[in-house]
This record gives sequence, C-alpha cells and structure tokens, in this order.
Amino acid sequence: MQIQVKCNCGDGKCPEWVIIELQGVVESQLAISDQISGLEIGHLCCSSLSSSSQLSYIFTVGYHELSGTKVQLKKPLLVLKKKAAVDAAGPEFPASSATELEVIGIIRQKILFKTRPKALISLNTIYILFCRATGKETFIIRQPSKDQMLLSINSR
Amino acid sequence: MEGETNGGWGGGAESVLNLVPGSSISIRYHSLFGAHDDFLLLEADEALLPDILHNKVTIRGQTDEEAVLCTPLATYAMKFVGTSNSVFLIPPGEPIPPCMKDTCNDSKSNTSAVHEVVPSVIKVASSNMELVLVAPRLDKLKSLLNERPYKLDEDVETDFQHNRSLYRWQDLLEQIQASEQELRDGLKALSAAEIDGFWRIIDEKTMDEILNMVLNNSILHGWPLNALKEDEVVSILEADGYPRNITLHCLETFGNMVESSGCSLWSLDEKKVCLRFALQALGGGKMKLEIFLQKWRHCVPSGMHADLKMLEGEVLYEKLGFETWIRAFRVSALPTTPAERFAALFRERPRWNWKDLEPYIRSQDLHVPGLSSEGLLIKYTRRSQPSADVEPIFSARCLEWKEEMRLRIKIEEVGANVLLRQRVRGRSGDIDILMKQINRWMGNTQRYVQVRLGKSSKGAVF
Repeated sequence: MQIQVKCNCGDGKCPEWVIIELQGVVESQLAISDQISGLEIGHLCCSSLSSSSQLSYIFTVGYHELSGTKVQLKKPLLVLKKKAAVDAAGPEFPASSATELEVIGIIRQKILFKTRPKALISLNTIYILFCRATGKETFIIRQPSKDQMLLSINSR
Repeated sequence: MEGETNGGWGGGAESVLNLVPGSSISIRYHSLFGAHDDFLLLEADEALLPDILHNKVTIRGQTDEEAVLCTPLATYAMKFVGTSNSVFLIPPGEPIPPCMKDTCNDSKSNTSAVHEVVPSVIKVASSNMELVLVAPRLDKLKSLLNERPYKLDEDVETDFQHNRSLYRWQDLLEQIQASEQELRDGLKALSAAEIDGFWRIIDEKTMDEILNMVLNNSILHGWPLNALKEDEVVSILEADGYPRNITLHCLETFGNMVESSGCSLWSLDEKKVCLRFALQALGGGKMKLEIFLQKWRHCVPSGMHADLKMLEGEVLYEKLGFETWIRAFRVSALPTTPAERFAALFRERPRWNWKDLEPYIRSQDLHVPGLSSEGLLIKYTRRSQPSADVEPIFSARCLEWKEEMRLRIKIEEVGANVLLRQRVRGRSGDIDILMKQINRWMGNTQRYVQVRLGKSSKGAVF
C-alpha cells in the first residue's frame, strides 16, 4: 500500500500555522463543553523584549498567568490532513492508494509556556488532589471566571 | 488589536506570529474545534522539505507493517511521539484552508464570521510523528522474487497460471518498504532482471546452464574470455534456443562490459565465475577441503585461477580432527536486518572468531544508517578475549537481539514480585532456557508465570 504525500500550496508557499504550548490541560466546565467553539481560552500578550532577543509572552487563562517565549522549532512541523485520494489523480495510480496525505500547513515557531501558572488573585479555589494510580500530585485550578476555563497542571 | 499592519490578514496564526510588544490578542476555540484525527503533525528536517513539498514523498507499508516514509532516495521510519503538554494548533485565519471550507458551510455559519478574525485553536495535538532514517526493508523483496524464479522451460510448463507471483515495478513499489533508488539497488544486488515487464530472479540452474554454454562456445570458437563479442555470443546462444535477454543478463551477472569500439565486448569476471563453480562443486553438503579444491580447480575454465580468497562470505571451514571441511554458507542468503543477521549467524555457530565473522557483517551488506561494524558488534555480540595474545571470540547477546527484533519480553505474573522482573531484565540466554529459569525461581512460591513474546507497536499505522 502506498500513501502519497501531496502538497498543493505551490513552491514552498505553505500557509504558516502556529502552536501555543503549555503544561497541563485546559478544560471547560462540563455544562458548556458541548458548545466549546468560539469560547475564549485566554488572552495572549506580547511584552517588551527581554534581555535576549527573544520575545516574551504572557498568556492569561482565567485568573492564571503563564509566561513564555517564542521558540523557533529545530525542525519544522508539517500539518498533514488525511483524505481520500481523488480519482482524477490519473489512471497511473492504482486504486489501492485510497488515502493520501495533503500538506496543508507548516509550523516553524511556537509560543512555549514552560512554567507553572501564577495565580493573579488569591480568591481561587485550589484543589490539590493526590492521584493514587500514578502517584502524581495533580493541581486542578478551578476558575469561577466568566469564560469558565479550568486549568489543571500535572506536577512532575 | 489583531492584524496589526498588513491589512490583508484577518487574524489567525499570523496575528500570533506578528504580535508586537505591548499588544495583546484573544485566543479562542475555532468554530470547527474538535479531535480532528485526520490532522497529523510530521516533523521533517529542513533538508526533506523540498521533496515533501514537491510531491516526491510516499508512505509505504502493508496494514501489518510499520509505515515508512520514502523520499526518492531514502527510507525513514515514522515514530509517534506523544506529549503531555497541551499543544494548541492555530491555523492561518485567511484564507481558510480549502479542505475545511466545505465542512465550514455545513456547520453553523453564524459563528464562523466572528471567529475567523481572532486566532482560533482548531485542535489540541497530543502527538506528532518523527522521522528516523532506516535501512530499506528488502528481505521481503528477496522472498517475493524467490516465489517464482525464471526458468528456461517455464513458458511451456506454467503458462496456465500466467501472472501469478510475478511482480511489475509498480507492484514492487506497493509491496516493498524502500525508496525507488533503494529498490533499484536491491534488485541489482539480487541480480534480478526485468523480463516481459516483470522483475524476476533467474533460477540458478538456468544461469549455470547459460554460463556453461558461453564457456563451451568460447572454447569452440576460440573467443577470449576477457573480450566476448556480445552480438556473436547472443546470436549463437539464441540459435540454441536461449533467449536473448537471459543471455545478456548472464553476461551482466558474470562479467563487465568493456571498451566498445563499435560492438559491445564483455569480459568475464574471474572471481564471479570461479565462485559459481565453487558453489556448484560444493553442492549442498560439506566436503573435505582437499577434495573440494581438487574438484573446484578441475572445473574452472582454463585461464582462470581458483583461489580460496574468492570464497569469503560464501563458505565456512570446520576442523574435524586433523581435517578441514568446507561447506557453503552464503552471506547473500542471510537476512539484511542486523538483529536477524546476527541471530542467523549465532544459530549457525555459537562462537565466532573475527576472521570468520567479518565477511558476514561488512557494512555494505548490512544497511544500518549511522552504525559502523564496530557499533554492530558492540550492540549484538559479546566479545571475550581471555588474554591479549589470543584472538577475540564473539558470542551472542541473546535477549538484546530479541528486543531488537521488536520482540519484547513481557512477564505476566499473577501476584509475582518485582524482584523477578529485575532478575530477568537484561539477562542473556535463549528464551527457552530463560523460561525454565523463571519457572525454577517461581517454583518456590508456586506462582503462575507466563513469559510472552509480544510485538511492541511504536510505529505508525495508517
């Protein structure tokens, strides 16, 4: 079986995507999880240049503040989309190549938030759970904010 | 806030990338946010990008094989790498990737107008794929082509089942996990020929027969073995019923094309011809060395000199009392993946000295990107050298090859202790012996243990 990797962007003009990466999981509250689209996750703010030439960023999720930097990926990531092969590809490709992967974007940079979040105000209800199965301590930070985001961070 | 200067942008990834110090932007879930299992992230070296972006890359593998990605020249294994971080994927805002447009219309369009202008997360990626340069998986090629080697009389014999077990170039590309270049090299290494559109290995007997015909005719017609005229050889053999393309293939296999002034000349390769006769002389079994040498020297064509050096990687010697015996053991018949190659070697002999082992592990036979012969030895053998003036002896590292063969030992214990696991880990020895050992340990506690060889499945499957 062969799966063709295709790119229709033309001569390296792939649209650039971007990654925002942070520790832990952002969750919406159950009640609204079925209407998640359009919901605000947080606010991204670019602060002035830090000592190095890297840009530094603040990402605010509910009442939590994460600080991070823009990182150039060592190797770019290609965004591939699995799709059914088009018959118009021509008769030289046998019917077996039923799927193909299309390159729909490329990612060269990400904004990485490596650190644990900082609470902006002390009104948070913080639940510290001890997960017995993994022996890991898990913080779930519950936000009664209007966007109803939860941020849970797994401790190392 | 978004779309700072360049008016053409509506938001999305560009807004994030171009965010200037002192400004901020809201990040939202995309109107099409979801699991999007059909989106895959592939980490690719900058050097690979041109091939990928120019549609020269193909993923190959059957459903039970771990997928590989092939460029025109090389083969890469695809490994899924997971992350526990949240990786938010933000597509460009405009234009919407064409593949998403159609689904966009299906969904509630009232939201999309708003959300395309702010950076929107379409998916939280939990893993990406990495590429690791690997050797092409060509052992399957050998077994496919060996299903039906070409024989001279086959047309009469097997006409009714015509195309069964025959493979065209395109069929091989479908079946074999290798790049086109590596597949071509693999076919050449197997001395395969394209006959009537199908890639075939020529049956050894057929090759021997044609080689003998060429040699007999050279005596008959006084042809020099280092300058056989192609036209003459081919036409005379054709008159005897040997197809033109097979004769040519035989010349290619046993000879080299030399300076052609007007007509093509072939020079027979002494080593290749002598080797062929050595293997004929040996047949299947083992033979006393002197008897073999007599027989061999007797049958090689006059003008050629049989030398035992020609048989490196083709035969093994064995000392039985005062006599040395010889027997065929061909490197070309061994598997090409290191783990399996060493397993086969140690099945043959539990201990090897360097001189005997070396021809079987030369790097051109064993394709391992980034691993030298020394590296292979360290990985797959245990070296013992009682004193400095004694030749080192190489023996098996048993468990390690099993691991490398992607056979992972799983110990399923019912209430067994961790100690057992520790004792087994990293232990060398054959699996049967190991099982006996485990049962002996377990005997005291009367607990049930099952050792299972399981396949680890880290590779990507589509």
